[in-house]
Amino acid sequence: MTDYSKDYSKDFPILEKEIYGKRLVYLDNAATSQKPDSVIRTLSEFYRSDNSNIHRGVHYLSEISSERYEKAREKVSDFIGADDPVDVTFTAGTTDSINQVACSLKPILEGNEVLISGVEHHSNIVPWQLAGAKLRAIPMDENCNLLPDSIEITDRTKMIAISHASNVLGSVNPVKEITEIAKEHDVPVLVDAAQSIQHLPIDVRDIGCDFLAFSGHKMYAATGVGVLYTSERFSDIMPSRGGGGMIDRVTLERTTYLKPPLRFEAGTPHIAGAISIGAAIDYMQNIGMDHIRKREHEVYSYAREKLLGTDGVTVYGNTDLMCGSISFNLDEIHHYDTGLILDKLGIAVRTGHHCAQPLMRTLGTEGTVRASFALYNTKEDADRLLEGMEKVRMMYA
Amino acid sequence: MRDAVQDEIIEQFGGLEWLDRYSLLISFGRELEPMDEKFRTEENSIGGCQSKAWVRAYEVDGRLMFNADSEAMITRGIISLLLKVVNNRSPREILDLDLYFLDEIGLKSNLSPARADGLASIIRRIRELAEGEVN
Repeated sequence: MTDYSKDYSKDFPILEKEIYGKRLVYLDNAATSQKPDSVIRTLSEFYRSDNSNIHRGVHYLSEISSERYEKAREKVSDFIGADDPVDVTFTAGTTDSINQVACSLKPILEGNEVLISGVEHHSNIVPWQLAGAKLRAIPMDENCNLLPDSIEITDRTKMIAISHASNVLGSVNPVKEITEIAKEHDVPVLVDAAQSIQHLPIDVRDIGCDFLAFSGHKMYAATGVGVLYTSERFSDIMPSRGGGGMIDRVTLERTTYLKPPLRFEAGTPHIAGAISIGAAIDYMQNIGMDHIRKREHEVYSYAREKLLGTDGVTVYGNTDLMCGSISFNLDEIHHYDTGLILDKLGIAVRTGHHCAQPLMRTLGTEGTVRASFALYNTKEDADRLLEGMEKVRMMYA
Repeated sequence: MRDAVQDEIIEQFGGLEWLDRYSLLISFGRELEPMDEKFRTEENSIGGCQSKAWVRAYEVDGRLMFNADSEAMITRGIISLLLKVVNNRSPREILDLDLYFLDEIGLKSNLSPARADGLASIIRRIRELAEGEVN
């Protein structure tokens, strides 16, 4: 039997920290994850020994950094099951990835419609609005689970953009089912994997999506870097930004562009960040994504059941497959108060609307307390959270 | 310049552990007179807070009285302390006030604009309202 109790927190230097004299219980992983020593070392060693701009120099260091950058691209490609590393573009993060797609496809989207879900984060809402598209939400049941059978695709539907996992509820959306329906209508699908890439094995060929977006910093890598996977059939879309590194030939009359991925990477990218994503993938693959999923599921389910069994706690959302986030409120206590007190107990959670105001309106609340888990969290962390909540309640009694 | 109301608050909070300070803020929050629903308007609301908050002022014999509220109890507690300090003063006095008690009872970090409770915005609004009366 596999042992899911191994303590991975030892790999993350920051988790040794004490906050207000108590061991830090970090449950804000949906906002950003902590970094393992191997990733921190990769970043520092890159700047110490290999730093140079990529693809441009004739010199030794430039070759090394270009190689390392392209190696990271290959790792990402393997990690998400892409056909070819050229389908992988490094961006500034999930938000940037989605904005790039929306901007590139603006001529098609403008005045037409994008289907999203009612659980979307603002970064999968606003870019489409900026591109001039109208948004329509796929119907959900009372637990905020999408109902793929109720998807209505019209001639005006030019994109379906769905988060793989909700950043608020932790519910995993049926993205594969949705892409199958979309294919029948030849509508492209963008999957926002910001909240799933660190928790679940992901295979873009299996999902069948045309775009996949995620951030490095939520998957144990650096901030300010992310990924956009683009399927081959969209490889010739216009780049949304121009500059150095992405052109074939420039004249004042006309410019031609390189093939992807460089076509989509104008300017100097976050080289060290991209390499750190490679290091984070190494770290996760060393443990194994299946192992991570099962281990996290144990801790996540434990925490969720304990919360559900606590009097006065409202837990939002419920579906068969969940990961990462759990959102809840305690009695009538304002989420902000709960978060402030938990903070002083050394427990880091997030409170508020979690950049998902439409979902908050559906849930009938202004905000929630969100505990979000990563591979280093343990049942003991969940117990600390529960004890903290008991303390909050006592203070209000 | 030291101020008797602020000094009294500092004495109450002196030496308390964090959770006890919060407990005390919660009890102050409970004592705060709730703001009438009709005053919870867009005009009186404070932006940038995780918990909604409202502030209004009215004049009594040349002195300003403030009425403020928030959805979060700890924020209400802080508001309650603030109002004890600023209420019933002339607009000029309010503008000259140094709110040193916030720092001394450990709430200085709540004054940072990055904090979600919007305490900094509430204080800014109180000053703006006082300024409006001075001119």
